[in-house]
Amino acid sequence: MSSLKQEVEDDLFVRAPLEEKVLEDFAEEPVTFWNEAWRRLKKNRGSLLGLITIIFLSLMALFGPVISNHSFDDQDLALSNLPPKIEGLGWLGFDGRDVNGKDQYEAREVTSNFWFGTDEFGRDLWTRVWKATQISLFIAIVAAVLDLIIGVVYGGISGFFGGRVDGFLQRIIEVLIGIPNLIVIILFILILEPGITSIILAMVITGWVGMARVVRGQILQLKGQEYVLAARTLGTSNVKIIWKHLLPNVMGAIIITLMFTIPTAIFFEAFLSFIGLGLQPPLASLGVLIEDGYKSMRFFSFKLLFPAIVISAVMISFNLLGDGLRDALDPKMRK
Amino acid sequence: MSKYVMIKLFMLFTLVGLVLTGCNFSSSKDTTSENDENSKTTKAKQVLNMVEASEIPTMDSSLAHDNVSFTVLSNVNEGLYRLGKASEPELAMAKDDQVSEDGLVHTYTIRDANWSNGDPVTAADFVFAWQRVFKETGQYGSMFETANILNASEIVTGEKQADTLGVKALDEKTLEVTLTTPNALLGQLLTFPTFLPQNQKFVESQGEKYALEADNLLYNGPFILSEWKHDASWKYQKNTKYWDADTVKLDEVNVFVVKEAATQLNLYDTNKVDSINLSSASVDQYKDDKDFITLADSEIFFLRFNHNHKALGNKNIRRAIDMSWDKQAHVDRILNNGSLALYGLVPKNFSTSPTGKDFRELNGELNHGDIKEAQAYLAKGLKEIGQDSVDITLTVSAVEGNDKTAEYLKNQLEKNLPQVKIKLKLVPVEQRYELESALEYEMVISAWGPDYIDPMTYIGMWVTKGSANRMDYSNPKYDALVKNISSEEDTTKRYEMMLEAEKMLFEDAAIAPLYQRGLAVLQRSTINGLVRHPSGPDFSFKWTEIDAE
Amino acid sequence: MKTYIAKRLGYMFITLFIVVSITFFLMQYLPGTPFTNPEKLSVEQLEVMNEKYGLNKPVAIQYLNYLCDLARGDLGISYQYEGRSVNEILGERIGPSVLIGSQALIFGAIVGLLLGIISALKHNSFLDYGSVTIAVLGMSIPSFVFAALLQYYVGVKLGWLPAALWEGYENTIMPSLALSVTVIATVARFIRTEMLEVLGQDYIVTARAKGLSEKAVVFKHIIRNAIIPVVTMLGPLAVAIMTGTLVIEKIFTVPGLGEQFTKSILVNDYSVIMGVTLMYSALFIAIVFIVDILYGLIDPRISIKGEV
Repeated sequence: MSSLKQEVEDDLFVRAPLEEKVLEDFAEEPVTFWNEAWRRLKKNRGSLLGLITIIFLSLMALFGPVISNHSFDDQDLALSNLPPKIEGLGWLGFDGRDVNGKDQYEAREVTSNFWFGTDEFGRDLWTRVWKATQISLFIAIVAAVLDLIIGVVYGGISGFFGGRVDGFLQRIIEVLIGIPNLIVIILFILILEPGITSIILAMVITGWVGMARVVRGQILQLKGQEYVLAARTLGTSNVKIIWKHLLPNVMGAIIITLMFTIPTAIFFEAFLSFIGLGLQPPLASLGVLIEDGYKSMRFFSFKLLFPAIVISAVMISFNLLGDGLRDALDPKMRK
Repeated sequence: MSKYVMIKLFMLFTLVGLVLTGCNFSSSKDTTSENDENSKTTKAKQVLNMVEASEIPTMDSSLAHDNVSFTVLSNVNEGLYRLGKASEPELAMAKDDQVSEDGLVHTYTIRDANWSNGDPVTAADFVFAWQRVFKETGQYGSMFETANILNASEIVTGEKQADTLGVKALDEKTLEVTLTTPNALLGQLLTFPTFLPQNQKFVESQGEKYALEADNLLYNGPFILSEWKHDASWKYQKNTKYWDADTVKLDEVNVFVVKEAATQLNLYDTNKVDSINLSSASVDQYKDDKDFITLADSEIFFLRFNHNHKALGNKNIRRAIDMSWDKQAHVDRILNNGSLALYGLVPKNFSTSPTGKDFRELNGELNHGDIKEAQAYLAKGLKEIGQDSVDITLTVSAVEGNDKTAEYLKNQLEKNLPQVKIKLKLVPVEQRYELESALEYEMVISAWGPDYIDPMTYIGMWVTKGSANRMDYSNPKYDALVKNISSEEDTTKRYEMMLEAEKMLFEDAAIAPLYQRGLAVLQRSTINGLVRHPSGPDFSFKWTEIDAE
Repeated sequence: MKTYIAKRLGYMFITLFIVVSITFFLMQYLPGTPFTNPEKLSVEQLEVMNEKYGLNKPVAIQYLNYLCDLARGDLGISYQYEGRSVNEILGERIGPSVLIGSQALIFGAIVGLLLGIISALKHNSFLDYGSVTIAVLGMSIPSFVFAALLQYYVGVKLGWLPAALWEGYENTIMPSLALSVTVIATVARFIRTEMLEVLGQDYIVTARAKGLSEKAVVFKHIIRNAIIPVVTMLGPLAVAIMTGTLVIEKIFTVPGLGEQFTKSILVNDYSVIMGVTLMYSALFIAIVFIVDILYGLIDPRISIKGEV
């Protein structure tokens, strides 16, 4: 090899002149992966609707609690259990009447309107629903991001280095996969004090495995591709290969997984609240509100209705967006 | 190939499902559906359907320690005394109760009664069962101490053997019980399920299986347990061999285990069960219903303060906390189930004095003040400990809606006492007990249900180092008073001393009472004579009858 | 194949062992005592109770004891129901859970398959949108909300089925239905995507080109090829059903494993928690294993040779 190298002299190569015509072919802005994905996503009405809904819900989660003039923990027993009332929307059921058709606002001489009604403490449910959305989204997103970080690192290392490292890391995953995550999560929450942090931690403890598997699979596949081989031959460093060539191409799969992790986490949090392992009061998540509403759904159906609608909207929109992104980012579908 | 595998898989699942569950269904649904059809005939069918929130933890009277077990045990068995229609003790297995002049020796003659296998109930059955409580380390061995039975305390601490207990069978039908000091409450205490008899021959023949299934038990009470499907349901049937069988009207009582309040309500609405407790959330819907009733229970809820805490060790601060919040609004709007605001230790309608007055009525409302007073006490207290403000952690477990109470309490205290900051700490109920016992809390929402119907069940809690104290409250004068009450034979004097003790406790503002639990009950109006007891068993079915509609 | 199965069995064993160990040591950190009603227990009595149940021994000894008992197939004695063995309790509990679980799985899979197939074959029609809507709704409504609504409207308002309790076959219908919602949604979405993919494959074009009837194309080629991967969904579906049973069984008062588990964790019944955990894990591991083996058998494109 070394003797061959010496024989290759610089003057063996002559620069080919760049023809004007060829240059013109490149003049057009190259269609990047992301441009293409966005173009495809825009075409998919369902996922666009999902995206808009997510943006809307996030804005409401941020600003909803502010615009109602009530704090989420303002108690006033004189205002307890008021049905929802919005001026002008009476025909939609927002008329302040309870199940028996009695106008509670009139009967109790309440002048200010509560858009989603109030709970038994007289707390404004509009504020609480959006505050809860904020907390639920926060829990889900943080859990998903932590999953992502651990999963990408673990899966990345496993996939990129392969061989013994991969074998070892995969054995660990194989064992972890066999442990029912539900049980681990419940045990962890029991041991840590119930609260936002422990719920997030408990979900991450088992959640990252899925992400790690996806990333590893993708990396293994990409590693063998010609352009990675080419980059390697040209002596590009490992870090640069990962950063420049592998990660952008794995991004699609990661985002899709993320889109499906978030709603799962929200559901899981609701489920935990239902079996009594939820947040510390007076904080409330959508799950806590639904659990409360379930108890009084016959007489105060609005207590169940609004948080249930919001949680369903969150679930639907993330699923729609996830589906759309999968179609848009999946290279197989790209033609 | 693939088709066959799929079909096989399908068949496998179906088969496994069917085989495993084949034996799980019962015949009890027949009786209930017949009940619906026959309810319109002239003579109502004597069947009662009830719900219970938990399975029977144990049917062994030596080990029983919860209300579900107590209820079943008291309806299928009978001790020397049983709780009567007005929850007064009445002679049951004992025909009579002879007391020696010094009040220390009770001689009971056992009635002619039989176990469900035909064996007669004998004095030896009591001796065996009572000693067995200690041999099996039952949780209510302390009841023998409360009853002042000879050597009970020494046996509990392990100084003496179980067979030295002050109980003897003089002959087949005569039982002698020896006390250390006379006890005015003995008859009342003997209704407690821990004092039920057990047939030695039968218990020993069953070995480890004793009391695990309906067949591994003997009955001498008004009913027998004819069916016990764990975690699903159990069924009582009238005991035809019961000595007072003529009084018993019901043929059958079915009890279903249903945990969710919403599910209980749905079952009531579909006529599957006849009596349920409503959760606060459903009360508004039913409060005008003809079947709706509220009952005051005798379980009390209160704040335990850690008396070692710097701020909470100060009685003015404790009193300020007690006075600063709206107890009435809490029971009316948050609990909304017939619970009563409590300004004392002993609940309402629990105990009447020898002069026929209610304990609560006699002592009135203790530490009932307004926000102004509360703020004054707080300012005084803060000055005494030299602080401007105080942060308190309130430990609570989410049972009986206590988490709601805590949310309200936090809001009220912080609003009415601006120098106070409350942090809520929600823990599982088992952990709360542990934290309480270890005094690892600052302020905690606790509950106490009476063990027997006498104010002492509450007053005795607060003696120094008492096992129910759990807050390091210590007042030597109080201890001395409680000791005197226990040995006082004059009932009038004794009652006055108990009133005095409660006042002393509130002078110290040792605890802050929250409320007396109430029950919002939805119960068919055709049910007659379903007796509810303030302590021990929840119900007696002995006198219950179903009227025709 | 044989070595593969042996290797997998080895892993299953290790996994179970780890699950048992983790659960056991986590249990040591569970707050509180396992004794019911400790409110009335004095310190002396607690000590006696601890001794009776062997809880005063060092953790390592307790752990070894547990493993020894486990090797003999003994899961210990329950704390909340004095004297009853965990084996017995779980034996009673597994039946109802498996029954409603398998009914939900079978019913959900059939309905899901139908919905998925219809919506793929009638792509972009109203039938398609209808099925997709059902699938998305099924995924977005929490199962306990659905169960509560079902119980109230079907059980109480309409009175078609018993609202709760566990007395006869009709009692199993509503819990199974409530559980199957997730299954329907998952299977329908999965099948739809698979079918759409198969529809675009060259061999379908070939089949049509060689003059096969439309019926033959749909049944012999499209559905058959699209259904195979559904087997891989069994694992995640089993998990979904297990999770579901925890709440559904509570609402419908089904005396099953899930209901027992939630109850036991709230009262610290150590031995029952351990037992249920072990049971769930074993069930889950077995399903994953069976799925892998089945998949190899059904799909000729996949061969099992030591490594998957």
